[in-house]
Amino acid sequence: MNFGRNELIKYGLVATLGIAAAFPFISDSMFLLNLIVLMLISIIFASAWNLLAFSGQGSLGHAAFLGIGAYASTLIAIQSGISPFITIFLGATVAAFIGVLIGLTCVRLKEWFLAMVTFGFAIIVQALTVSVLAPMTGGWDGIASPRLVSPSIPGYQLIEYYAIFVITIASLIAIWYIMKSRLGLAFLAIRENELEARAAGVDPVRYRLIAFAMSAYLAGIAGALQIHHIGYITPELYGVDNSFWPITFVILGGLGTLAGPVIGTVVLTIIWEGLKATGLTFGRYVIVGFILILTIIFLPKGLVNLPERLQVWWKGRGRKENGEELQTG
Amino acid sequence: MDNIGIFLQIMFWGLYAGCIYILLATGLNLIFGVMKIVNFAHGEFLMIGAYITATVFLLTGINPYVILLLSMLVLIGIGAVVERLCFRPILGTGKLNEIFLSIGLIYIFQNGAAMIWGDAWQSVKSPYDGITIPVGSLNVPIDYIIIIGFTAAILIALFLFLKKTRIGMEMRATSQNRKGAKLVGINVERIDVISFGIGCALAAAAGTLWVVSGQVFNPYMGSIPAVKAFAIIILGGLGSIPGAIIGGLLLGIAENSAAFYLGGVWKDAVSFIILIIVLVVRPTGLFGEKGE
Repeated sequence: MNFGRNELIKYGLVATLGIAAAFPFISDSMFLLNLIVLMLISIIFASAWNLLAFSGQGSLGHAAFLGIGAYASTLIAIQSGISPFITIFLGATVAAFIGVLIGLTCVRLKEWFLAMVTFGFAIIVQALTVSVLAPMTGGWDGIASPRLVSPSIPGYQLIEYYAIFVITIASLIAIWYIMKSRLGLAFLAIRENELEARAAGVDPVRYRLIAFAMSAYLAGIAGALQIHHIGYITPELYGVDNSFWPITFVILGGLGTLAGPVIGTVVLTIIWEGLKATGLTFGRYVIVGFILILTIIFLPKGLVNLPERLQVWWKGRGRKENGEELQTG
Repeated sequence: MDNIGIFLQIMFWGLYAGCIYILLATGLNLIFGVMKIVNFAHGEFLMIGAYITATVFLLTGINPYVILLLSMLVLIGIGAVVERLCFRPILGTGKLNEIFLSIGLIYIFQNGAAMIWGDAWQSVKSPYDGITIPVGSLNVPIDYIIIIGFTAAILIALFLFLKKTRIGMEMRATSQNRKGAKLVGINVERIDVISFGIGCALAAAAGTLWVVSGQVFNPYMGSIPAVKAFAIIILGGLGSIPGAIIGGLLLGIAENSAAFYLGGVWKDAVSFIILIIVLVVRPTGLFGEKGE
């Protein structure tokens, strides 16, 4: 039965990405195209956060790496004139480097100290951006960022769309590969039991830092893509909202799984845009809050786990009707 | 004003800001001590307390220092409900889960408040606005002195409650050893609800004092003070109430100095810089003997 469930999720994943790939041929709505671009970027960002959580570290300030990647890429592109296609990776490298520095301050501490340090770090970076670095970053007003594909090229929106699509797929494949490799097993071992992992020769500090670097790198890519897509960057990017969204996506989809961030992002984006149509403003966030809490309490493994839960429930129901005893597992 | 005057002024602001942090951090310390949960949504209770006080004050004109009690009582109720419905089902499933749950609470409380009261910055004037008392070379608003007095009174009351009453002793027992407390017949789940309620009431007191001092408030004001309160209890050492008091004052003074000498944007950042430095140099906190 486990096999069937995994197949279901795999097909769902492929179908979702297939729809995204074929979308420009189905509809020519620029609004929807833009929405899917932002959704793809959110998938990268949520997956980046998820990779860190996979190693047992919960960050509350991932917007810092989103922003650092975006600012670094923008500034490098402006100063040097290199194409944004290259600078997004340079920007992400800067984010990864700073991620390791932040990771260093808390790898030896309790798991939830990290949450605080990262939350505070996003605030520190924002303060730096609008004060000391203001001559470069434009302060609160922000600066224009070069577009990923110049608008002078015909069909630039489609090129940009597919470029972002390919980067998203590449990121997901990379994460899948990491999770399956020895590295992923080491992350899992640290998350489950640090002491036993240490006994088995896994150095928790080293692997935590590696997870931090990779997660910050991917978050940096997401930030750079978003900024080069929109064409403008402001320090709002470091906001608490941007730190909380990936958490919400991942928890809803399923923590520590490859498909979780994708499913969570897609489902929540649809709900979010649907609620927008009803004219709710603050109410949308309240509903997201309820969804998050209900998921944590009643579906701790996220939507990825829903088919299995339904299956168990369905079987249990059948047994009850037959007068048999309910069995667990 | 001369340099010493400015310095004294900053110290006084810091003392007052520290009072709000101390109340917040003490509440968190109480909840963390008894239940071992990490509630990042604690600042939302401060925000709700602030709005309750402001609303009742604007409607009725009752002295806001009296409304403090009402605000605390309401928050005991809200806290009990939140504990029962949200935190109890996930108790013992890990700190990260608690943090994620508090993010859900943050969404609900902040935007729920925005639906009721709007998201604009507001402020109210205390009935004692403009009255000052000369202390040495500077004129101190009387509100600041009342606030410091109230904070001290609340802390002393809490101390006596924990030391002298039966429920207070049960709370201390639960925080020392949950299983042991169960064995001697303490209803730990009831203690959880009470601790969470009292913690929230302290946050409400902080919110009330925030409003009374004439500071602006909006539905999103709570999240940063909450994380700072966590920073304070780590600075002071987990579970140490004197540590929380010293940590709160330290942060209040550091922030106001930073805001004055470096500019307003550094007000929030400086607390976290201090936190990171302390965590790197002394992971158990300034006064903590051992980790949790």
